Amino acid sequence: MLLRKVIGAEVILGHKIFTRAKSSWDIVAGVCVERLPVITPPLNELQKKFKDFLWTVEIEKSLKSDHELRHENDKVQAELLKNESVDVDLDTVSKITAQDFEDSSSDELNQFKFADIVTEGDKKGIKSTPERCLQRHLVLVTHQKLGNDVKTILPQGLWKEGETLRQTAERILSEQCGTGLKVKFLSNAPCGFYKYKYPAEINGRLGAKVFFYYANYNDGEVDKKSKPNWLTRNELAELLPEKYNKTVQSFLIEETF
Amino acid sequence: MFHSQILKQLSRLTIASASKLPFNTRHISSSAVVQFKITDQLCAEPLKKKKKVDPAIIKAREDRRRKKLEKQIRKLQKNARQLKPIEEVEPPLHLMDQMGKRKRPSVVLSAEISETRALLVKEWTRYKKQEYMANVAQIDRIMAAQKRALDMLYEESEELYNEAIMPDVQLIPCSFTGTYATPPIKNYESPDGEYIDVSKKWGHK
Repeated sequence: MLLRKVIGAEVILGHKIFTRAKSSWDIVAGVCVERLPVITPPLNELQKKFKDFLWTVEIEKSLKSDHELRHENDKVQAELLKNESVDVDLDTVSKITAQDFEDSSSDELNQFKFADIVTEGDKKGIKSTPERCLQRHLVLVTHQKLGNDVKTILPQGLWKEGETLRQTAERILSEQCGTGLKVKFLSNAPCGFYKYKYPAEINGRLGAKVFFYYANYNDGEVDKKSKPNWLTRNELAELLPEKYNKTVQSFLIEETF
Repeated sequence: MFHSQILKQLSRLTIASASKLPFNTRHISSSAVVQFKITDQLCAEPLKKKKKVDPAIIKAREDRRRKKLEKQIRKLQKNARQLKPIEEVEPPLHLMDQMGKRKRPSVVLSAEISETRALLVKEWTRYKKQEYMANVAQIDRIMAAQKRALDMLYEESEELYNEAIMPDVQLIPCSFTGTYATPPIKNYESPDGEYIDVSKKWGHK
């Protein structure tokens, strides 16, 4: 029984290798360029509660700092000065009280302008810039001409003889998105696979097998001719065809907020 | 005749060797003989008479020596049991001296608060476990997607597959700078100035 199973598997593998020679599928390399989040996502309820709990416990178990001691000292000195009953040694009264120092420090902090988490792209709803949704992952999609249709999917292109799939992916990216885009490919191996049939046979090919390569976005502008858009996970799910979207999301990290 | 007289007179001047004369002889001489003597050949000082030592005293001496050694061993062992101080972990001395001023009044928590705290901790552990399981599931999912892609590639073309599984040497060393609390400010001019690094240095200086 077991022997028959083993032989069966071998036969199937042999058949696959045999049919490889006369394959009727186009080999296509697709590229998934992802811009990683720049800012930490917001804390949810439980995380906020636990953070506050940890901070109160830390204060409870700590010793008083120099600043606190100085503050207490100042209060004592102020009391003595008010009462004027005891001769106060002017040397021990600090020139700048701890409270003053604290106030001036918080003023300085308030005056410093941090950059906004909600960028211009967010406010205006522009999807073609990677400077949006700084807390989320963004994936690049472009217009692709497939036959007579133009679809918005991840950049992809046919594999040519004599190059590896990764080289194909790099070539496609530079052709379609321009050389200004700086990315980092993370592996020689593809990370996802999608198969689709052509509506009619073209050059004896039934359809195309797309092998996705993953790259991290570092810098640079995408060429406008391909009409790029940087989409979050939800937007991808809305825009892409269902099965395609499922394949793409299977090799991307899930977002938890 | 002349010879014998001289011989007689000269015989008084004989040198008698030690070997010929036994030790305990009576010094009675029948003839007047002046005997020159060389002292006996002595190779060493004559041995002093050994005093008999009390065996009890010997035993006492041995016991004292043994006790001394054992005491020294115990002292060294006590040293080994003591742990060596770790410089980084020792609290700074000026804080230890000021403990009286620095200690906070001990907090008395009501039963309700301590219960809510305990429940919060439990909820947190449950949440963290979920998070961890979700992370592991994600990693499994991503790896399975890659494995499937490689399997399909192997079906398509062995050459491409072999090229795909080659390790990428340009990837390592690889570094990612993490997420921040606020985004970077565009065209920020950092203020000029010197700073003196007062951080403590542990280990070899």
